[in-house]
Amino acid sequence: MSDTPFVVVEGLHFSRGETEIFRGVDLQVPRGKMTAIMGPSGSGKTTLLKLIGGQLQPDAGRVLIEGENIHAQSRKALFAMRRRMGMLFQSGALFSDLSVFENVAFPLRVHTDLPEAMVRDLVLMKLEAVGLRGARDLMPAELSGGMTRRVALARAIALDPQLILYDEPFVGQDPISMGVLVQLIKRLNEALGLTSVVVSHDIKETLSIVDYVYLISDGQVMAHGTPKSLDVNQDPRVRQFVHGEPDGPVPFHYPAKDYFSDILDAGVSS
Amino acid sequence: MIDSIRRLGRFGCNALESFGRAGGFLFLSAFAVPSREGFGLWLRQMHFVGVLSLAIVLVSGLFIGMVLALQGYTILVDFGAEQALGQMVALSLLRELAPVVAALLFAGRAGSALTAEIGLMKATEQLSSMEMIGVDPLRRVVAPRLWAGFVALPLLTVGFSVVGIWGGYLVGVEWLGGFEGSYWGNMQSSVEFLDDVGNGMIKSMVFAVVVTWIAVFQGYDLIPTSEGISRATTRTVVYSSLAVLGLDFVLTAIMFGGLS
Repeated sequence: MSDTPFVVVEGLHFSRGETEIFRGVDLQVPRGKMTAIMGPSGSGKTTLLKLIGGQLQPDAGRVLIEGENIHAQSRKALFAMRRRMGMLFQSGALFSDLSVFENVAFPLRVHTDLPEAMVRDLVLMKLEAVGLRGARDLMPAELSGGMTRRVALARAIALDPQLILYDEPFVGQDPISMGVLVQLIKRLNEALGLTSVVVSHDIKETLSIVDYVYLISDGQVMAHGTPKSLDVNQDPRVRQFVHGEPDGPVPFHYPAKDYFSDILDAGVSS
Repeated sequence: MIDSIRRLGRFGCNALESFGRAGGFLFLSAFAVPSREGFGLWLRQMHFVGVLSLAIVLVSGLFIGMVLALQGYTILVDFGAEQALGQMVALSLLRELAPVVAALLFAGRAGSALTAEIGLMKATEQLSSMEMIGVDPLRRVVAPRLWAGFVALPLLTVGFSVVGIWGGYLVGVEWLGGFEGSYWGNMQSSVEFLDDVGNGMIKSMVFAVVVTWIAVFQGYDLIPTSEGISRATTRTVVYSSLAVLGLDFVLTAIMFGGLS
């Protein structure tokens, strides 16, 4: 294993229509480590993940996966590169017409020529790892939110990828399944030696499992460091986010004109 | 004034851009090298867009043939020309009604379903997750649906014509008492295989490409919200119906209008 980072993002610019989402983002994801990308809702974290996965094209800058620019690949080479990555979507994104078993078997069936018996064994191993071997015959519509995410996790690791991208893995989970997921992600990562990128705004859970954190705000990296160093960071913007203070440099109010003149104007301007 | 010119310009550019996107989309998916299970996926889609549209297409064909015979008979009998009924029913069905009406029904029944299905797959990130698994959704999801539509509609059109001609026979001969020999005989002597059946099939193939292309592209290109899906489904039916009727005129002019 070399020491070069697995993912390198350099000077990334991206905009949607008129809105500029990233204004020069630089970050590195070291091999075999868990790196978190955090930031307030709407700061473009999921967009960043899609840029890393090559699903969106940046306006400027580049994303290197093991030294290869993912946006300079042909369609075919891009799909080949993605076989080394797994992605856990926020919604799970299971194929609704396939059973749990077939969902996990899907990557194996399309990318390998393994005999059916071996596909079965592999799928059952992945399902056992997420504790859902017994749910193999259920359809995605019959699963709870936490189970959906666990099946999606089993599918993401079906081909033993080197890199996993987690998009908001903890959002909308009850405390029990949240705890299960946190443990599961941590354990899988250690056992399989994966490189992971976790996009999240669940501070406590994320900081408890990752090795390094990038905080993103206003289209740029606001701060980065180990979870410990961020905890004691004195920058008011970092403090507000890490400690969940409702008001501070990131204002509680969406930009608006003066409150009193707005109220007094009622019915006049419209 | 300047504003409206600018809006017109932007509208033009947007329209051109989406045509370009749709063209690239059609090329990339229709000519994608099929995956290993491509045939199975295609067969499954043939069931959804073809077999499940069979009932509505055949029943409509029957009624249209029956109405044609009823109207045709009452007019032709005034001129003592009721023996030309078979010819009239067969030619109007083969040249015009079967390709056009079958395409319109197909757009409503199968086209809208294709748009909604692909749109929902996009909205629930299933297409994205397929991309991240390293499977091209154009190859796996879009191509089988496109080719199923390309093949299914011409076959449905054949069924429509056959049932329509039989419906005409039921009304014109069995019910109104026309002479059976002249119904079939006149039809046989006047219908040219290449000119009438062939041109009708060419029309139907053109409609199949256009309708399926519109349906699948609208699904793939929509804004992934519930409103986006409902709008795209409506657009599929509206655009395909207009395209079918407009193209029918153009094709008829070329094939039967003495332009060629």
